[in-house]
Amino acid sequence: MSDEESVLYVMTHGTESPERCATPFFLAASAAAMDVDTGIYFTMNGPQLLKKGAAETMGPKGEDGQKLSFFIDQALDCGVSLYVCQPSLDLNDLTADDLIDGVKMIGGAAFNDMAMEASAVVTF
Amino acid sequence: MSDTPVHTLDVKGAACPIPVVKTAKAMKTMSAGEMLEILATDPGVEPDMKAWTKQTKNELVSIDRQDGGVFRVVVRKS
Repeated sequence: MSDEESVLYVMTHGTESPERCATPFFLAASAAAMDVDTGIYFTMNGPQLLKKGAAETMGPKGEDGQKLSFFIDQALDCGVSLYVCQPSLDLNDLTADDLIDGVKMIGGAAFNDMAMEASAVVTF
Repeated sequence: MSDTPVHTLDVKGAACPIPVVKTAKAMKTMSAGEMLEILATDPGVEPDMKAWTKQTKNELVSIDRQDGGVFRVVVRKS
């Protein structure tokens, strides 16, 4: 177990581009399965993907293949942490109550600290 | 220590990251020294299992490509 290592993914895309929605979740699931502390930070359009109900109605291949909810559940099951901050919710007219369970609220300072501490930051 | 895997994980037909995710889960239920046999058709399973064992410090015992494009991977829990 390598407690020191971590990967932070940053997701900036939302429901406007379904083909981009699943990749951060399955890469993060892979990282978490490698015993790496793993998080995804959702900003810009990203929080739209975490709105209750959204993930059941879209998937990376439209009507074909898995829904986004499959990829989110897989990531959560592996222990991936999901983060948003208040301004990104405001931008999308969302509140914390609109989001699926388990999303953690952070702020810009915490995000920057996580980015500086992470072994790698991957931005989508 | 036996060289015969006592656990088998069949993930044939499943795409990345399911082989890795399910391997990690299966290994959590096993004891140190036990071996897991993984049957997978994902073409990325060889580099993925090399990376996974390197990172998690478990042992990659063998990877063999069998008929029908099935990879048989054996890992031992450290």
